[in-house]
Amino acid sequence: MNALRIIIIIAWRNLWRNPRRTVLTAGTVSLGLGLLLVFLGIGDGSHRQMIQGAVRLGGAHVAVQAVGYQERGGIERTLSAEQIARVSSWAQSNRKQLGITQVLSRVFASGLVSSADGATGVRVIGLEPAKEKGVSSFHEKLIRGDFLISTRDNTAVIGEGVARKLKLEPGEKFVLMVQAAHSPEIQSLLLRVAGVMRTGLEDFDQATILIPLPTAQQLLKLGDEVHQTAIVLDQLEHSQEAAEDGKRRLGPEVEVLSWLDLMPELRDFIKIDDGGSYVFNSLFFMIIAFLVANTLLMSVLERRREFALLDALGFTPVRRFLLVILEAVWIALLSVAAGTGLGYAGHLYFYHRGLPLSLFYSSEVSAGGALIDPVIYSHLTWTRIFGAAQLVFALTFLLALLPAWRGAKGQDAHLLGQA
Amino acid sequence: MSNSKTTGSLLRLEGVSRQYTQGEETVHALRDVTFEADGGEFIAIAGPSGSGKTTLLNLCAGLDRPTAGKVWLGNRDLSELNRHQLARLRLEEVGFIFQAFNLIPVLSAEENAEFILLLRGMAGETRRAKIRALLKEVGLEGLESRRPGQLSGGQQQRVAVARAIAAEPKLVLADEPTANLDTETAFSLLNLMDRLNREHGTTFLFSTHDPRVMQRAHRIIHLLDGRIESDERVAVEQA
Ligand SMILES: Nc1ncnc2c1ncn2[C@@H]1O[C@H](COP(=O)(O)OP(=O)(O)OP(=O)(O)O)[C@@H](O)[C@H]1O
Ligand SMILES: [Mg+2]
Repeated sequence: MNALRIIIIIAWRNLWRNPRRTVLTAGTVSLGLGLLLVFLGIGDGSHRQMIQGAVRLGGAHVAVQAVGYQERGGIERTLSAEQIARVSSWAQSNRKQLGITQVLSRVFASGLVSSADGATGVRVIGLEPAKEKGVSSFHEKLIRGDFLISTRDNTAVIGEGVARKLKLEPGEKFVLMVQAAHSPEIQSLLLRVAGVMRTGLEDFDQATILIPLPTAQQLLKLGDEVHQTAIVLDQLEHSQEAAEDGKRRLGPEVEVLSWLDLMPELRDFIKIDDGGSYVFNSLFFMIIAFLVANTLLMSVLERRREFALLDALGFTPVRRFLLVILEAVWIALLSVAAGTGLGYAGHLYFYHRGLPLSLFYSSEVSAGGALIDPVIYSHLTWTRIFGAAQLVFALTFLLALLPAWRGAKGQDAHLLGQA
Repeated sequence: MSNSKTTGSLLRLEGVSRQYTQGEETVHALRDVTFEADGGEFIAIAGPSGSGKTTLLNLCAGLDRPTAGKVWLGNRDLSELNRHQLARLRLEEVGFIFQAFNLIPVLSAEENAEFILLLRGMAGETRRAKIRALLKEVGLEGLESRRPGQLSGGQQQRVAVARAIAAEPKLVLADEPTANLDTETAFSLLNLMDRLNREHGTTFLFSTHDPRVMQRAHRIIHLLDGRIESDERVAVEQA
C-alpha cells in the first residue's frame, strides 16, 4: 500500500518536471475530447430533433397496427374496434409509467386528386385534428388558409406541391378518389381546401393531403376501424421500452413498433451518420494518440539513468512498469477532467443558443425522410461522456504499454552515478 | 568446486569475467576475478579509471551479469535469479551509493531517505521516527523537505547514505562516493560510513582512486585492467 502510494506520488510529480510538455499534451487531448463531446452533442441533438420532427409530422414514438401493415401495407389491414379499445385501455393504464402524452388514431390511403387543372396521386392521412394539434406540427406548417376543424365537414389540408399542380387555393374544391378498404369499390368525395402546408420535405409536400378521421373512415367504408394508433411519449428515450411493454401486453395479434421500426430510413440514416462521425473521431484521436505516445516514450527515454537508479534500489520491473502506466493515467485523468469541462461548456452553449444550420446550408435540408431543423440544439448524455472518457483512458493505457515496457526492462547500470 | 550452500561469506565472486563487445572490439572489463567478503568488512576497491571498479560493483548486486564465473550473495547464486528476484534482493539486502545522482529528483530528502522502507511497506510512524533520527545523525536536520536540486553534492550523498543505512542492509556498495566532494565533505562522509560499519556491522564495499580515501579501508583490493592485482588487509586504526 505504501509502495503503491509512493509510486502514485512519483508519477504525479514526474508530470510537473516538464510542465510545458505535460500541459501541451494534456491540453491537446482535452481539446480533442472537448471537441469530440461538442460534436457528439450536436450530432445527437440533430438526430433527436430529426426524430422528434418526424414524430410531429405524422410519425409516432410507438405505433400499434394490424400485423403485417408495416411491411406490406394494404388498406384492408386495419385495427378492429375491439383491438383499438384494448390498445387505448393499455395506454390509459400505463399513461404515467410510460410517459404517454397522446394517443391518436390514423387512417392511411392512396388516392387520386383531381381539379379542373389536372390530377395527381396522393397519400391521404385521416387524423383527429384537435388531438394532432397538441402533438403534431402540421398546423404550424400552413402557408395559406387554416387547419382542419374537427367535424365531419369535407375539408382537406393539402401539400404545397399538390396545390401547385392542381392550381388550388383555400376555399376551392377538388375531388378525391380512393378504393374502399374491404371491397373493390372506388369511392369519391368532393373536398374543399382548408389550407396549404409546406413542411420542407419535398416528397411529403408533393403528395400528401390531410382530412378529418371520420371523413376518411366514411370514405373508405371503415366503420370504426383505423390503420394505426400512434402513441406520443414525453421522452423519446423511452420509445423502445414502451414498445416492448406494448408487445408484451397486447400480444401477437397486433404489431407494436417503436419509432426505430416505424421509420427505418431515419433509423438507418442516423446509424450511418454515427458511423461516419466515429471514423472521423477515430482519425482525430489517432493524431492525438501519436502525440501522447511520443510524450510518454520521450519522458522514459530521457530518464534512463533514473530508471537504472530505481532498478538499483530494488524497484522491481513490475513497479517501474506501473510507474509509467500511472504517469499516463494521470495525464488521462487531467485530460478527461479538462476535456469534459470544455466539452460540457461547449454543449451548454449550443444547448441554449443552438447552432444555426444557415451557416452551412441555404435551404431546407432533409435526410432519411426527416427534416433537419434549421437550428440544432446540443444534446449531450452522460453515456456519451463516459464513453468518450473511457476511450481516452483505454487509448492512453494502450499507448503507455510500450514506454512502460521500456521502463520495466533491464536497465544499463553503467548510467548510474554519471552526469 | 565448492557449492554455494557451503560458504559462510556474505559476498563471493568466483572466476568472474565481464566482456563488452562494441562492434569488432571486445573490452575485457573484468578478468577472472575471485574474492570473498565477510560480514562487517570495510573494503576499498582501488584502481585507475577503466580498471573495472564500476563493473565489479554492478556485478556484485546483480545489476549486470558476468560473462563467465559466478557471484554469490549470501548463499544465493545470482545467476539463478531473474530480474524481478534480483531487484527484490537488492531491496531487502543491498544498499547503494553512487558517485552522484543518487536521489530521485521529485522526492524530498526525507522521502528519498525512507524510499526503501516505503517500498518494503514499513508502517508510517516507526518509519518516520527512524528517518528523522537518521537524517539528524548524518547532519541534515532542517533540510528534510528539500528536493535534491536544493541540496549540495555533499548533502545529497548524505541523504543517499541515510537511505542505504535506514534499510539496514547487510551490504552497502558505494561507487566512488566521495569523487564529487571536497576533501572535508569527503572525510565526514567516510567517517559516517566508518561509524556505521563499526556500530551496525554493515559491510561496505566502495570503489575509489583517491589514496586518502583508500587509507580508511580495512582491506584494499587493487584492480588493474580488470584483474585483481593485490588484495591486502590493513591494520585497523582507531578513528
Ligand atoms: N557498457 C559498456 N560497453 C562497452 N564497454 C564498457 C561498458 N561499460 C564499461 N566498459 C568498459 O569496461 C572497462 C571498465 O569500465 P568500468 O566502468 O568498470 O571502469 P572503472 O574502474 O569504474 O572506471 P572509472 O574510474 O573511470 O569509473 C572500461 O574500459 C570501459 O570502457
Ligand atoms: Mg567507475
